[in-house]
Amino acid sequence: MKVQLEHPADEIKRLQRCVNDVVSLLALPAMWSGSKPCDIVPTLLDSLLRMLDLDFVYVSLTNLVGAALSETVRVAQSQEQLFRPRELCTFLSRWLDPQKCYLPERSHIGDEEVSLVSWPLGVQREIGVIVAGSRRADFPRDTEALLLSIAANQALTGLQQARRLTEQKRVADELDQSVAQRTAELAAANEVLREEVAERRRAEEALAASEHSLRLIVDSIPGLVSLLTPAGEVELVNPQLVEYCGRTLEELRLWGTSDTVHTEDLPRVVQLVARSITSGSPYDFETRVRRFDGVYRWFQVRGLPVRDASGRILRWCSLLTDIDERKRAEDALKRSEAFLAEGQRLSRTGSFSWRVATGEITWSEELYRIFEFDRAVPVTLELISTRVHPEDIPLLNDMIDRARGNGSDFEYEHRLQMSNHSVKYLHMVGRGIRDRQGRLVYIGAAQDVTERRLSEETLGKVRSELAHVARVTSLGALTASMAHEVNQPLSGIITNASTCLRMLTLDPPNVDGARETARRTIRDGNRASDVITRLRALFSKKDTIAERVDLNDATREVIALSLSELQRNRVILRCELAEDLPLVTGDRVQLQQVILNLLRNGSDAMNAVHDRPRELLIRTARDEDDRALLSVKDAGIGFDPQSMDKLFQAFYTTKNDGMGIGLSVSRFIIEQHDGRLWATLNDGPGATFSFSIPCTTNT
Amino acid sequence: MNSGQEKIAGGYPLVAVVDDDESVRESLPDLLREFGFATHSFSCAEQFLTCDRLVQTGCLILDVAMPGMTGFDLQRELKLRGHSIPIIFISAHKDEVVRRRAFQQGAVEFLFKPFSDTALLQALNTALRVR
Repeated sequence: MKVQLEHPADEIKRLQRCVNDVVSLLALPAMWSGSKPCDIVPTLLDSLLRMLDLDFVYVSLTNLVGAALSETVRVAQSQEQLFRPRELCTFLSRWLDPQKCYLPERSHIGDEEVSLVSWPLGVQREIGVIVAGSRRADFPRDTEALLLSIAANQALTGLQQARRLTEQKRVADELDQSVAQRTAELAAANEVLREEVAERRRAEEALAASEHSLRLIVDSIPGLVSLLTPAGEVELVNPQLVEYCGRTLEELRLWGTSDTVHTEDLPRVVQLVARSITSGSPYDFETRVRRFDGVYRWFQVRGLPVRDASGRILRWCSLLTDIDERKRAEDALKRSEAFLAEGQRLSRTGSFSWRVATGEITWSEELYRIFEFDRAVPVTLELISTRVHPEDIPLLNDMIDRARGNGSDFEYEHRLQMSNHSVKYLHMVGRGIRDRQGRLVYIGAAQDVTERRLSEETLGKVRSELAHVARVTSLGALTASMAHEVNQPLSGIITNASTCLRMLTLDPPNVDGARETARRTIRDGNRASDVITRLRALFSKKDTIAERVDLNDATREVIALSLSELQRNRVILRCELAEDLPLVTGDRVQLQQVILNLLRNGSDAMNAVHDRPRELLIRTARDEDDRALLSVKDAGIGFDPQSMDKLFQAFYTTKNDGMGIGLSVSRFIIEQHDGRLWATLNDGPGATFSFSIPCTTNT
Repeated sequence: MNSGQEKIAGGYPLVAVVDDDESVRESLPDLLREFGFATHSFSCAEQFLTCDRLVQTGCLILDVAMPGMTGFDLQRELKLRGHSIPIIFISAHKDEVVRRRAFQQGAVEFLFKPFSDTALLQALNTALRVR
């Protein structure tokens, strides 16, 4: 290395320049005040590069534990090609090593030989290290060294300060942050508190408002209202209550001991209210309350507790409703119901309603009793049919179908069969009405007429027996009188004839006597003949009415008369009456007697029939010869074809109690009408008795 | 005719006929006379009771059915009065019950009209034998 001597003037300049630089360097910390290390270092390096003739300058900062924090390198502009920053950093970073000394040295960086000088930042490089380098051989000159060391010091100062500041700042920041956090927390808490307060205020306002409206309501309810404290004391009464009782609030407070509540009801009321106050459950009772004029009326008293959000009772709200009218009506209703029930029981009549569309059926108690069903059992048509007598089920079904169909009133009588097989007779009447929706509802009554029926039947039996006996007696009487009437002259005849014979056998014969007896005999013979004529006249009235008779009408009348008797014998009567039946001329009553006789015979013939319906068919028709034909067909026991002729003989009967008059008389009557009466056996069981009469000829 | 003729008592018993029927009252006495009896006839029971030859009556032929006092009434009445005249009932009405009753009351015979003369004679003989 060549040492060149400087000109003193140049040296002075140089030294002056150096002093200036020193001053600048000394000013650096002031400049750096408040800056961060990352700002200080570039400034430093830039200053150094400017001040000194360096190729590059490098700073490496460490953190508090000595590890590299940052590396900064500045390369002089002119040397940028030669020295790449990364290479430099890699090379220069070894200066962080505490073993590395700081003496200047020459090294090779890449292809270049450089002089390097370094200074620690901090006594033990706790801040970092600074390294400057140049290719000049004389680097560093003394001034450069000075400047560099001053710069290093200043950098140290600045960096230390910066570090302190940073620390301070960090602490300050942390403090700020925690303060801010705390402030935020407090602010939030404050918000919450404010909100709570606001809400409470709102709640209070709402409560106040509801209290107000409650009072308004209480006062305007058209009922008697009183508000009680949770302990059960009267707190408030509405004007209506005051008006009704004619008492003040103070007086009403003493209701537990005054006459406001009827003395008979008071103990019970006090007990009920007390029980509710303690238990918290509502009370509901009826009591009499004194009106201002002293009259007691029935009230329904209902008390409800009013609770707050937590379930605590705030007050009791008591409403009194005047039920006096209702109570009176209820009592009257109970009485009338009792009357009705008793009446139903006495008359054995039950009432029912039947909603046809839904099949809903309601019964009164008596009807349950009649049918012997439990009151709890729901009534349906199926249930009812289990009690109907098996033979009458078709009747029931027919009734139901009719009722469903046309909604007209009905009246039926049929039998019931109880579980013990006893039989009851039920007479039912029903009326169809339309409800508000226009649906068909039957309301009606059913009466147990068993007793009446039985007595009727007995009566009927007795009557028919009587009638029979009367018939028999009268016929007997008729026969007797017939016999009597005829036997008298007959007897006379025989007696006279006997006398005659005796007189003629005398010696000499008593001819005069015989003549007399003979005369008497003739007379008696005539008498007998008269009797017969008279008897015949009995059958056909003396003045026989010859009128136009409609056999259909006559038949219908006979049917009407004998219907109950036929029904009692369980005979099913069918009619086929011809519409074009011609009129006949004759005695209506006599012809009806014949029809009645045939009907009775047909019915009697089926008395022993149990395995088939007892059908009796009456038919009228126009005969081929334009005659009116009437026939009665039964399903009975028929008759023996061999004894067909005997049927119409007088006194012939197959009936145990029969007189055998009927058919012979009937035939007689028909023959009087120029008609014919005959009998035929059916293809099936039974026989058919018919008569035909010529019709009225239009003359 | 000897309608009023009577055989005097002393062998010919007196037979009374009580019947409301005229032909009987006509014919029967004649037959009786042919039989050889004395007779008297009455149209009603009351008449017989008041007749003066009641006690002498040997037999009574009595109709059952009569208006007023019936045959049975007369039978009872005679018994009450202590008369024991045998009675032959005659009746136009054939009723076994009545017949039985008549016998129960003590009748000798009960004939249904019309009856034959032999039947009547038989009855009369029975009645008079009883007496």
